[in-house]
Amino acid sequence: MSRVEAELQESPGRSFARVRARRSVGLGRLLQRSPVVIIGGTLIIVVVLLALGAQIIAPQSPVSQTAPPLLRPGHEHLAGTDELGRDEFSRLIYGARVSLYVGVLAVSIALALGATSGIIAGFYGGWVDNILMRTMDILFSLPAIVLAIAITSILKPSLTNAMIAIGIVYAPTFARIARGPTLAIVNLAYIEAARAVGIPNWKIMLRHVLPNVSAPLIVQTTVSLSTAILTEAALSFLGLGTQPPTASWGLMLSAARQYMLIDPWIAVLPGAAIALTVLGFNLLGDGLRDLLDPRIRTM
Amino acid sequence: MRYLLRRLLWMGAALLGVSALIFILVRLLPGNIIDIIAGTEGQLSRSQRLEILHSFGLDRPWPVQYALWVWSMLHGNFGWSFRTSQPVAGLLVSRLPTTVELAALTVALVTLVGLPLGILASITRSARLKLAVQIVGLLGLSIPNFWIAIVLIIVASFAFHWLPALIFVPPWQDPWVNLQQMFLPILSLALGLAAVVVRMTRSSMLEVLGQEYVKVARAKGLGSRVVLLRHALRNALIPIVTVLGLQMGFLLGGVVITEQIFGLPGLGWTLLNGVYQRDYPVVQGAVMLFAITFVVTNLIVDLIYTTLDPRIRYE
Repeated sequence: MSRVEAELQESPGRSFARVRARRSVGLGRLLQRSPVVIIGGTLIIVVVLLALGAQIIAPQSPVSQTAPPLLRPGHEHLAGTDELGRDEFSRLIYGARVSLYVGVLAVSIALALGATSGIIAGFYGGWVDNILMRTMDILFSLPAIVLAIAITSILKPSLTNAMIAIGIVYAPTFARIARGPTLAIVNLAYIEAARAVGIPNWKIMLRHVLPNVSAPLIVQTTVSLSTAILTEAALSFLGLGTQPPTASWGLMLSAARQYMLIDPWIAVLPGAAIALTVLGFNLLGDGLRDLLDPRIRTM
Repeated sequence: MRYLLRRLLWMGAALLGVSALIFILVRLLPGNIIDIIAGTEGQLSRSQRLEILHSFGLDRPWPVQYALWVWSMLHGNFGWSFRTSQPVAGLLVSRLPTTVELAALTVALVTLVGLPLGILASITRSARLKLAVQIVGLLGLSIPNFWIAIVLIIVASFAFHWLPALIFVPPWQDPWVNLQQMFLPILSLALGLAAVVVRMTRSSMLEVLGQEYVKVARAKGLGSRVVLLRHALRNALIPIVTVLGLQMGFLLGGVVITEQIFGLPGLGWTLLNGVYQRDYPVVQGAVMLFAITFVVTNLIVDLIYTTLDPRIRYE
């Protein structure tokens, strides 16, 4: 067997096809075996539906101050009212919107920045690799929240800047995850073949490298969505993220702090909303990891 | 030894990178730094502005400013607070012990609670327990610690009439009162992490318990406790330490918010107050100190590996 043939035997393209074939047979069974995916998926679908249908589902506008403040949960206001007399239930529903919006966009930024640098670093190697990955290492030498606080405080606190900060903070994780498998496949015969045919580098990276590093990236995306939502909540809680009067769970928690001993409900519910949403993404990510990446077993 | 030297060198390089990052970030500040310092806008004449710029050394080229800044930091000079004109270094050093105490006691509590529970959970292989531990572990990752803190305060105040103290008592003044003040903050940070550790301990123990050498140990008639603790746990600890190491960033970040909620005057509290008051020398210094703390803890975690598993030799 020639070298090329030997490599073809082991090329990820082939094994990928094999995995895919096996997966399509066993997908239902795997889902059955992995209840976490179902629980997580259900949680997320509920949150997404609430966010999309906020205008229809929410009984009131999230910013209208019509009722007396700090009402307990009751018939008229399912979750009571907040310190300014706004309907807490409606604000919780609209809060899902902000959380998902920030989460998805921040992770997209992180994925775009991180995966691109990771693939480029692994593909070119040498000094390109060194510069890119050392930059990522520098971002890694700060706790995520501290870096996000530093960035938002300088860019001025706002929803958009919180999103950018979170995106930058989580990019290195994606870079590391994308670089490893890229290094592993970059010398394989089919990449060599693509080069020999004269396909430009960017096209090779996009068409041949990216699909082969996508499984771990997908898992990381789900997991990062949970951390991004948590970080947004934390930044808003500290007054460095979403600004009033927008309904954001972190912001609602922070406003409720002053009144938590008078009306514990408004301090408890937004936190529960954050926890359930984040839990949904974590469960899904955990389950997906078992499904897509059987080598890394968590349990 | 050579590995340690290389790691220390790399640490220095990484911190230099962080300092460059902070330097650039602060230069990106919208608006004029003078207006931020003086709190005035448009009230100063051009010559007054230049004078202030000159007195802060801000009229020099950026590379020179950066080099001077790093040089003075190496000499323990982190600049002066915009607000109080006190040296930032002294301020930060006085705040560091609280943060270290909070983080260290949290890690201690997490280990004391998480490890035994995880080992206990590893004795049975039941699928239901696996699912329960998995969900509890993920809950630990999902519940924001600032929310746990708020819920704990609500519960403590309704049940025990406890309220966050207004005046912080450092441990060297009155250790008992200090511990009382620190208890809820530590608990709020530890609950989530402990859940993660329980999960990791169980899975890692189960994997080790299936190994041949555990069977051998059992076969030669060792008591189950000896097998569990001497043979299995020691090997299971490696992934657990890895996870704990990965969670250090989480913990240090959580410290910032926890200190804010409970009014503990630590490093995180100082950082946030610096941010709120736009006191950038304090922010720079605090971020730098966070980076140093983080990099050093990561090094310690790596060094723990070598003691746990003599096979791991860093080259």
